[in-house]
Amino acid sequence: MKKQMLLLTLLIAAIAFNGSSFCGFYVAKADAKLFNKTSQIILVRDGDKTTVTMSNDFTGDVKDFAMVVPVPTVLKRNDIKIAKPELFNKLDAYSGPRLVEYYDSNPCMRYDVDELMLSADYSMAPTSINSISSGSTEKKYKVTIEAKYSVEEYDILILSAKESGGLKHWLIDNGYKIPDDAEEVLEPYIKNDMKFFVVKVNVEKLDKIQGISNVKKYIDVPEGEGSRTLRPLQITYESDKFMLPIRLGMANASGEQDMIVYALTKKGRVECTNYRTAKIPTNENVPLFIRDKFGKFYVDLFEKAHASEDKEAIFLEYAWNISPQFPGVKCDPCVGPPPIYTDLLEAGVDWAVQNGQASSDVFFTRLHVRYSRETHPQDLQFHVTPNKEHFQARYILTNPATGDLSCDEGQKYCARKVKQRADELENLHELTSWNTAQYKDYVTEYYDKLEDPTLIYKVDGGKKHEIVPPVFPGDNNDPNRGLKIGILSSVLGLMLFIFFIKRRKWLGQGLHPQTT
Amino acid sequence: MKEWLSSIKFLYEDARHMQILYLSIFLYYGINELSWEVSTLQIVSVIGSTVGTQMIWTKITGGKYNSWKSALITALGLCLLLKSTSLLTLILAAVLAISSKFVIRIKNKHLFNPANFGIIISILVFQDAWISPGQWGSSALFLFALSVLGGIILFKIGRLETSIVFLGSLFLMEYFRTVVYQGWEMDVLFHKFSSGTLLLFAFFMITDPMTIPNARKSRVIWSLILAGATFFLTNWVQIYTAPIWILFFMTPLTVLLDKVFPQTKFEWIKPIKKVKVHHGSIIKMNEI
Repeated sequence: MKKQMLLLTLLIAAIAFNGSSFCGFYVAKADAKLFNKTSQIILVRDGDKTTVTMSNDFTGDVKDFAMVVPVPTVLKRNDIKIAKPELFNKLDAYSGPRLVEYYDSNPCMRYDVDELMLSADYSMAPTSINSISSGSTEKKYKVTIEAKYSVEEYDILILSAKESGGLKHWLIDNGYKIPDDAEEVLEPYIKNDMKFFVVKVNVEKLDKIQGISNVKKYIDVPEGEGSRTLRPLQITYESDKFMLPIRLGMANASGEQDMIVYALTKKGRVECTNYRTAKIPTNENVPLFIRDKFGKFYVDLFEKAHASEDKEAIFLEYAWNISPQFPGVKCDPCVGPPPIYTDLLEAGVDWAVQNGQASSDVFFTRLHVRYSRETHPQDLQFHVTPNKEHFQARYILTNPATGDLSCDEGQKYCARKVKQRADELENLHELTSWNTAQYKDYVTEYYDKLEDPTLIYKVDGGKKHEIVPPVFPGDNNDPNRGLKIGILSSVLGLMLFIFFIKRRKWLGQGLHPQTT
Repeated sequence: MKEWLSSIKFLYEDARHMQILYLSIFLYYGINELSWEVSTLQIVSVIGSTVGTQMIWTKITGGKYNSWKSALITALGLCLLLKSTSLLTLILAAVLAISSKFVIRIKNKHLFNPANFGIIISILVFQDAWISPGQWGSSALFLFALSVLGGIILFKIGRLETSIVFLGSLFLMEYFRTVVYQGWEMDVLFHKFSSGTLLLFAFFMITDPMTIPNARKSRVIWSLILAGATFFLTNWVQIYTAPIWILFFMTPLTVLLDKVFPQTKFEWIKPIKKVKVHHGSIIKMNEI
């Protein structure tokens, strides 16, 4: 067994001083204020090969930026890349929770209005609101610098350490500020022979890249917080471990942190093996006014769903076959353009195009993790399942019919609407725990239109929008169908064969089967 | 009161009755409390195919192994552990599981735990089935109930030591690696063991008296090997469903251990009293 196999895989340690951080371990060089509320990660897994892209929403002075990422091997220069920040926005916009709108037709008018599906503006989506969418040996410290790279605006060192105290002191003496208890958390990773990938920003190079080095010669441009965008770093390694270390990021963070994982695989959905992977409630009818409050709605919905799972489950928010060759719809409704093969290549899906042929095996999973030290003592471990069932978090708005509703059918419609709207409010309460008593008007609007209020006793709840299950591969396009039927027939054949042999034996002995 | 007593007696007279009841409770809990993606159609198909296959094989083999109860346990085990979006895969897992009992036999004892056989074959061959080790969450109450209920059954059938040796030795090994060597806190270790899949496996699968060694001494050795292999595969090869795979591939060991330490084969319903009837045939009392 290769040595690497014994190692803990990628450990992205992150210590945030203000707010939360992903497993990413942002180490401040000075007492700068760092914000990293929600981290986003793209995980691409193919066999033992993993590509991890880490979004960088660092908002302090770039001079203070530093990140420590434990990795299983000494990464080569080619294993480190810079990804486009837009990639995260695209994946987020495409896979975020969504609203779908339906329009009721007026029963008093004789025409049909087609159902329209409008996607909610994803800028309202919770993701954005919650910014979810969001060589040389240093003998004294027993820290070895294994490699040194300069990758665009980043200066990268790969360190190996013998003991956590040494690493901690090396970091401190080299001007990094790390939390006091980081030592304890570094220890288990060092014991696993992990290497540490230490990243700093080369400000001169960044100036050049951003085209302001010449400007700076003449004007002293002040550094504003969050004024400079740092691009995501992408690393690739081979290891049988498919996990994300979250413990280091919790070293000094109190409270909960959010992380969105966009996973891309050949086979199917990714799920967590050491925490429950639950589905976020979906396909619920909600009141119309949610359109303007969708962000808050989803934040509260997530909070409640998370609490009801003892705050420990990982939530599935989206799962879809996004292969360039997939013939079905890529979302329903789409809230952002589906990723195309160039995005997939950018994310590290190297099988997206092979021999000039677009792949038909790219499966996308979006997981939302909210973790804290108390509820998540273990790092997250994942596995790829062959589950290709589609899933999306979507909530349904029903626009009422417009115009005169005084005809008989119109009155029945109003009575049904009263019931539907009451149900929508109940759903809302159920999903978010909002106090829905304040939305009485939402129901009375249609109650007041009733000439005979007792009509509500005489109608049923009316048709609910049929939830059409998203296209998912059933048995019809099962490549192994022939094999399965073959095996089933063989078992039946074997049964028949044994039956006839026994029967002959019984007959030869003049016995009836029951009497044996 | 009398009815209560008689139903408890009914449960206790055959450990399989308890097993069926408990596994059904777990399945109900999974579907209703944990909202698993298991449809009624899947459950009906799996139960139908296991019991159906069992009946056909029983008929063919002349009614020798008439145990629809075991078939039902296999069906419930499959429903609890095996996931697939293909109904055909689940049905095949059920059919193959039961058929393995009748076809793959050595010395009047079937080799593989049927549910385990069905699970492994469908994952390996059909490529569209999987196990979700994280599906149970780590609700303390549920895990406690699972262990206690499993413990009662094992106590009754005299296989409790198998689970205890397995879990105990695995816990010790993990303790030394995780806590003593790596320096993680105890709650990391506890979290590793608060896995419904691991406990279900330890209490309801490796203890299947029909497919594990007959002698107590062999069972202890067998459990230690199982625990050692699980420890290795989980930590160094990253197979989080390791015990289920090891159980499958350890089958030859059972045969070997039974040879080294011979002991009579387990019977679900032990003959309580043998009565000599005047014309000389022996009748087991509780089979009348």
